[in-house]
Amino acid sequence: MGAKSVNVEVKSNVVKSPSGISVIWREIVKDKIALISLIFLVLVTAFVYGVSLVLDQKEIVKVDLFSIYEPPNDEFILGTDYGGRDVFGQLIIGTRNSLSIAILVTVMTGVIGIVYGLVSGYFGGHIDNIMMRILDFFMILPFTMIVIAFVAIIPKYSVWTFSLIMTAFLWMGLARLVRSRTLAEKELDYIQAAKTLGTSNIKIIFKHVLPNVSSLIIVSMTLSLAGNIGLESGLSFLGFGFPENTPSLGTLLSYARNPQVLEHRWWIWVPASVMILLLMLCVNNVGTALRRATDARQRRG
Amino acid sequence: MWKFSLRRILIMIPQLFFLSLLIFVLAKMMPGDALSGQIDPNIDPARIEELRIQMGWYDPWHQQYAAWVGNLLQGDLGDSFRFKMPVTELIGQRIANSFWLSVATLIFTYLIAIPLGITSGRFNDTWKDQLITGYSYLGFATPLFIFALVMLWLFGFQLQWFPSSGSIEPGLEPGTFEYFMSKFYHLLLPALSMALITTFSTIQYLRNDIVDTKQKEFILTARAKGASESRVYNKHILRNSLLPIAAFLGFEITGLIGGSIFIETIFSYPGMGQLLIESISLRDYSVVTATTLLFGMASILGALLSDIILSIIDPRIRIK
Amino acid sequence: MSKTNLTKWLFALMLAMLLVLAACGDDTSSEEPEKDPETTEEDPAGEEDPEDAEEPEDGLYSIDDFATTKTNEGTAIEGGTLNFGLVSDTVFEGTLNYNFYSGAPDAEVIAWFDESMLYTDGNFTFTNEGPATFETEPYETDEYPNGVTFTFTIRDNVNWHDGEPVKAEDWAFSYEVIGHPDYPGVRFGPDFTNIIGMEEYNAGEADSISGIEIVDEKTLKITYKESQPSLLTGGVWSYAMPKHIFKDIPVAEMQESDAVRKNPVGMGPFKVKQITPGESVVYEKNADYWRGEPNLDQVVLKVVSPATVVQALETGEVDMVDGFPVDQFVDNADMSNVEWLGVTDLAYTYIGFKLGHWDAEAKKVVMDPEKKMADVNLRRAMWYAVDNNAVGEQFYNGLRWNATTLIIPPFGDYHDPTIETPTFNPDEANKILDEAGYKDVDGDGIREDKDGEELVINFASMSGGDVAEPLARYYIQSWENVGLKVELIDGRLLEFNAFYDRVGQAGEDDPNIDIYQGAWGTGTDVNPYGLYGPDQMFNFPRYESEKNTELLVEGNSLDAFDVEYRQGIYKEWQQLMVDDIPVFPTLYRAVLIPVNNRVHNYSIDYGSTMGRHELAVTQEEAIKHED
Repeated sequence: MGAKSVNVEVKSNVVKSPSGISVIWREIVKDKIALISLIFLVLVTAFVYGVSLVLDQKEIVKVDLFSIYEPPNDEFILGTDYGGRDVFGQLIIGTRNSLSIAILVTVMTGVIGIVYGLVSGYFGGHIDNIMMRILDFFMILPFTMIVIAFVAIIPKYSVWTFSLIMTAFLWMGLARLVRSRTLAEKELDYIQAAKTLGTSNIKIIFKHVLPNVSSLIIVSMTLSLAGNIGLESGLSFLGFGFPENTPSLGTLLSYARNPQVLEHRWWIWVPASVMILLLMLCVNNVGTALRRATDARQRRG
Repeated sequence: MWKFSLRRILIMIPQLFFLSLLIFVLAKMMPGDALSGQIDPNIDPARIEELRIQMGWYDPWHQQYAAWVGNLLQGDLGDSFRFKMPVTELIGQRIANSFWLSVATLIFTYLIAIPLGITSGRFNDTWKDQLITGYSYLGFATPLFIFALVMLWLFGFQLQWFPSSGSIEPGLEPGTFEYFMSKFYHLLLPALSMALITTFSTIQYLRNDIVDTKQKEFILTARAKGASESRVYNKHILRNSLLPIAAFLGFEITGLIGGSIFIETIFSYPGMGQLLIESISLRDYSVVTATTLLFGMASILGALLSDIILSIIDPRIRIK
Repeated sequence: MSKTNLTKWLFALMLAMLLVLAACGDDTSSEEPEKDPETTEEDPAGEEDPEDAEEPEDGLYSIDDFATTKTNEGTAIEGGTLNFGLVSDTVFEGTLNYNFYSGAPDAEVIAWFDESMLYTDGNFTFTNEGPATFETEPYETDEYPNGVTFTFTIRDNVNWHDGEPVKAEDWAFSYEVIGHPDYPGVRFGPDFTNIIGMEEYNAGEADSISGIEIVDEKTLKITYKESQPSLLTGGVWSYAMPKHIFKDIPVAEMQESDAVRKNPVGMGPFKVKQITPGESVVYEKNADYWRGEPNLDQVVLKVVSPATVVQALETGEVDMVDGFPVDQFVDNADMSNVEWLGVTDLAYTYIGFKLGHWDAEAKKVVMDPEKKMADVNLRRAMWYAVDNNAVGEQFYNGLRWNATTLIIPPFGDYHDPTIETPTFNPDEANKILDEAGYKDVDGDGIREDKDGEELVINFASMSGGDVAEPLARYYIQSWENVGLKVELIDGRLLEFNAFYDRVGQAGEDDPNIDIYQGAWGTGTDVNPYGLYGPDQMFNFPRYESEKNTELLVEGNSLDAFDVEYRQGIYKEWQQLMVDDIPVFPTLYRAVLIPVNNRVHNYSIDYGSTMGRHELAVTQEEAIKHED
């Protein structure tokens, strides 16, 4: 008993000295790729959000019959699309919208998924059973059908409602992962030790289990953020995403459904595609650095 | 284990019941019905009204639902209004197509993803890893629609290495050897297109798990004992890292019948994905409810399978 | 570490470029100058092109430049296989019988192996060239003073694919099936209840239809209560059903039966050999076809996705298609291995105004003078405010063009090109609005209504295709230019089902909709009663007037059998529509069909009697496209 309590104290001493944030920061700085990616992300985000405050969305989506399908030239940096609308302007606003959705959805699904998974995995037994069955029910909900029904029934939907709907369908994956990992973790000695010491369940969950599951969470949330950037593009393809007067990377990409656009008018969809790719890569790189930061053995800094 | 599975399957029934109720109500709430599309000056609207009454679409929804459940219990899933044939027959036709396509896609995906994931994890942070990660991200970011279309243009039309549409060559007798070969041949390009794009998550999960496991102490021990590098990987690391993949296997199996509407549209390949989406758009209620129920069931069974596999592989995750 | 950084980024970038290049890789027309209204485009190909489409001066095409019949080059061979593409995003349903199908793809499939008993001419009127000939004589009784009896005689050598002759009882049988109380299809309607005895039969009160008489094996008599010109343009149901095959199947189950889905039997130039559900059909020649043995041995019909139809045509995988997606034409106009045929479509798009509602009890339209759009000046001004020619030129490269009246040009006898209709003139629109009292009271550039209250017009438009959104926006902008505030209802385009539901296809109009954009496929009957009559649910504008009703009824009356008389009536009616504007048409459009150069004897002309049995090819393989 005496030896064990010494262990616990020593451990907490070691962990306290560099704060979490500085560890992460150091890790990113040491990894050049991650640093570049982070800078890129910050720049793009600032640019996109900043400029779209200035840009007039109404002007951008105004249909100009006489500029249809113009290739990139002096007047339009990235050319125009089927309605004669400036593609570059749409790209900026579109990136802002897509980023907003991606961040919103990732944060919401993250919070719900982590808490759900932790609670379910930690308590196990009947609680786990019931919670998992509820989760199963959510999982079998037919995604496409409900989205289509929503679009048909709800007259006006915006970035918020869209994100909410997406969240309702996406939190399950993370919850399942966290739960199975928690199930395994809670059998480990240090958890048993904490229990024996009489630590409250909430404290155990959030101070002990959570940090050890964090690697999994970070990987998952990174993937999820990266994935959510292109999330509504799939729906836009099917015609259930945003109307065209709310540009997003997905709507720009969905113009490529027309083989003529795909082959001959690349300036409409390629920038959106490249933007998605770059954003995803950057998020991944930063996420990799984060992941390394959480596991002391893998740190470079 | 058996008690566990049985309990899960029993719980499935109320879950499916709620699901079917939800779907039914949702479907009725959507504007229009299967006959809304008949805006043809040569067709008499009075006749359309008559048909609607005949089909029972003006009955209160709980009455319609009760009728549907009644039929279901007798094994009758109703008729597809659009195809004018029993839903069971319709689904039977399509599901075979989707199933084989998905199996092929799955096999290709694992064939590509597992070696790549292992390489990436084993040599992480070298150029091999960068390359593979870059490729998998490229695949993730590329819209499936565009990629499949480009593949088709290139391999189907330009090079003519693969057939460009349909699930089978027209005119072949079912059951013959040529029939099977042709079906197989038609599968390859769509399956390959899909596999090349969807390897992303498998590769990344495998890679990350390997990287994590590599750090663990028992690996150090194995090396200290003098085990060769390949033995360390194949015997120790791999078995641990395949865990997430095995866990997902259950879900992949669910996806087997789901199909992908993009692939099906581009390759003119009649499958389940197209069926579901179109039935929703065209308000073919019987098909929508039947397929959603089918997917729901498959989903639950898939999750069950995942859990069983997980508990077999990882004794820490005990089933009580 | 820095070396691998660079490599990684380079690789990622390279892969991205590769993808882009692959997409543009087979861009064969990248050398063409960009379509630009200002410059003239030189014809890049110097040699003699068999294509009839003249090189457009400014990137615009005109329907007049397209031939409707394929030019035959070279000599045809005996036999051969033709590959026909059914352009569709989806499968064909597979209800392969004229009496049960509903959907254009199925109709294409059926057209190869079955046909109508009566052929039509360029005015869509029945002729005596087909498998059956007919005569009419008036039928007058006290109850039905304007009746008519048709006597049909089926030719001797017309047989079903299984060898049985096509009999009068087969033709009567299709009436018995459609009129049957258990009939599950959509065809039953006023055209059938017009037959004496049909209503009683349909109500289950009679075992047979008294107005249909089978005189002998090849002669059939049908007596109608009201004689109308519409009878001659499709009112008579001209499709038979092989009774000997269907007689033992209950009517309610017929459309699911194998006789409809798996091995349908018809009387056309080709027989169904094999069906792969939803994907393809293989036909072989019907050597006993009554017009002569077909040239081709085999026809293969395949579903082709619109995303790949260009490639399928270029590689010769299909020789021709049922309808080419018009928005892909511009980039492929000089495909070297096909000839482009074109004809005006039997359709028009229009802007409609909601002028009332539907009274479901009385089953008629009720106009409401309080409705927002009730002032005809407002409607007229809105017509003047839009530039449909510009829309047709800019969005469709001339393949759609300004529509004038509600009777489309393919009805050559009745479409009146001399009627003056409003064309783009914003000044005139402003003038009309000012005079009508729609003034801008508060100086914000937007007109208020006649009482000085805010005027917001709710616009319903369907989604679908690339153009839908820009087009709707364009209209809204055009109206804004003359000071009218128009908004999309719910802020966006409506999905197909939702749109028609709210516009009133079930009689439950959404009262918030003021104007809407729709399109009609007119079919082959010129009579517009079904769309504008006072008791028609499809009369979405909910418009009626005494004159309108009078003209519409006259246009399909006994007197209207006289073409000149009918022309006068419809001329008046078209003018009335221009005066009253319940709707105004926006665009007529073209149907384009590419045909591989190896094909002989194909025509899409409405009056053509060229049959599919005459189709032939000049070589075994399709000719491929060369740059």
